[in-house]
Amino acid sequence: MSFLQAILDGLLIGGVYAVISIGLTLVYGVMGIVNFAQAEFLTIGMFTAWFAWAFLGLDPVLAAPLSFAVAFAIGWVVQGQLIARVLSAPSVAQIFLTVGLLIVIENGTLLLFGSQFRSVTTSYQTISLSLGPLFISIPYLIAFAMSLACGVALWWFMRASWFGRAMRATAQNPAAARLMGIDTALMYKMAFALGVGLTAFGGAVILPYVTVYPGVGGQFVVLMFTVVVLGGLGSVAGAVVGGLSVGVIQSLSSLFFPIQLQNLVLFIVFILVLAVRPQGLVGASR
Amino acid sequence: MKRWLALAAVIVAVALLPLLLDPRGYWIRVFTFTLLFAAMAQAWNIVGGLANQTSLGHAAFFGIGAYTSTVLLLKFGISPWLGMLAGGALGGLAALVIAIPTMRLQGHYFALATLAFGEVMRVIANVWTSLTGGPGGLSVPFVPPSLAAYSFKLLRPHAYIALAALVVVTAIFEIIRRGAMGYRLRAIKQNPAAAEVIGVDTTRVKLQAAVISGALIAMLGTLYAQVAVFFDPDTVFGIASISIRIALIAIIGGVGTAAGPILGAFFIIPLEEVMNDLLSSRAAGLSQLVFGVILISVILWRPRGFITVFDSLRARLSRSGAS
Repeated sequence: MSFLQAILDGLLIGGVYAVISIGLTLVYGVMGIVNFAQAEFLTIGMFTAWFAWAFLGLDPVLAAPLSFAVAFAIGWVVQGQLIARVLSAPSVAQIFLTVGLLIVIENGTLLLFGSQFRSVTTSYQTISLSLGPLFISIPYLIAFAMSLACGVALWWFMRASWFGRAMRATAQNPAAARLMGIDTALMYKMAFALGVGLTAFGGAVILPYVTVYPGVGGQFVVLMFTVVVLGGLGSVAGAVVGGLSVGVIQSLSSLFFPIQLQNLVLFIVFILVLAVRPQGLVGASR
Repeated sequence: MKRWLALAAVIVAVALLPLLLDPRGYWIRVFTFTLLFAAMAQAWNIVGGLANQTSLGHAAFFGIGAYTSTVLLLKFGISPWLGMLAGGALGGLAALVIAIPTMRLQGHYFALATLAFGEVMRVIANVWTSLTGGPGGLSVPFVPPSLAAYSFKLLRPHAYIALAALVVVTAIFEIIRRGAMGYRLRAIKQNPAAAEVIGVDTTRVKLQAAVISGALIAMLGTLYAQVAVFFDPDTVFGIASISIRIALIAIIGGVGTAAGPILGAFFIIPLEEVMNDLLSSRAAGLSQLVFGVILISVILWRPRGFITVFDSLRARLSRSGAS
């Protein structure tokens, strides 16, 4: 029974992993850049939600759109001022620009907010529903539902809106997109801002069960990469499958291994997937 | 000929520097670590520069070297010199093990895979307490000073050993770059398919580069352990402290050139030390923040490294000379 429980928990947590990782895969899909600083926007989203809770009394889940907006604005500036300049540079320059950004954001938050751990208290934090022999933790369920809503909204945006279609056109062929009158530089800004905004949104919804501190993003770096690589870098649908798989893998491995080895299992899965199927398990031929 | 004379002059000048620094002082320590990190970045440069594969996991091999010699010394009293050879062999082996599955990956994918491998080694070192001492770290035991035991009262001999290591690793880098292997690696860098067609065994050449690079950096891990005297898994297997830092040194200096890692190390390591000194007392995180800002600025200003500053200077000089 604990096996089923672990799978249920894994799926609920994995839904959030999917949303925080979609941003990473979106940026790669549109621009071909791996943003090593992506997880730092999770930290930004968590801090935004924490301050909204502490000073405005806003529930972190309701503050999620605010987190999204803050990260979106930062992402817009970062893309326009920094990333845009290395789009045609060698991949080492791209990698290390985002690594530099990671260092700046992590230490900037440390400088501004100090190193202490902060958490929120909510009325539903410790409640769980019982479903036959299984328990559904309410904070997990709410985070999952919010992630689902966010994922559906993104899907609609990419499919049906003009911006979404223009962004996909830019991803497929920037030169042709420009000929069709699409401002590709604007699309890149939009994609990057949207991507980091989604990650920050995910940061806000997990705040009821994860404490925030300046290094919290670092805990999610390899996890996010595992999610996107499992699903195929650049594939949004793949990130959903990857997120759910990583949630389940993590949850199941905690049944069999001590907590310190939990990440080890993830890293090994990650390297194996890269080695055997670098295009991802879903194998979208993008 | 002129270039060789200039090179010799630089080496002599650097060799004299430790004599001028206070042997018990702070700066000789900074100087030693600068030379050591230059050598590490040079070893990284074989894979990251010549083979054009940006590794973010070289801490894995570095840590193996540091732990192998120190564990052998602690448990069996084996001299770190022999421990260094054992560490080099293990580091080369580990490089082979990770290179086989990741070799065909390119660019960002390769960076991600190596990053994860470094993390695997860090987690193992933290958990395997009976061998490594776990998160508490290891202290290199004190033995009576002698060259054979790799133990000295002062830092000066350490500085010279680090300098010798830098010269040796740089020589190996240059021999590879100028030799047949360098041509093969460059062919793969420019066009892997074409290289394969003209008869370059791309798999073999990449594996060779990975193993040489991994073995060298593992041996430098022993030198680091002997100078630092104490280390823990999060330092020697660290992403930020080792993997990213050495790649950064090579990149800021100029990837794929012999001078790049040396320029980069003499810029970054003293800069970090000075900033830690000046800023750490003010506010936590400030020195690292400034460091990140400098990194971003250098990459935006010179995406191909500092070395290109000399190229454009030379171009300007020769143009003004001609007119």
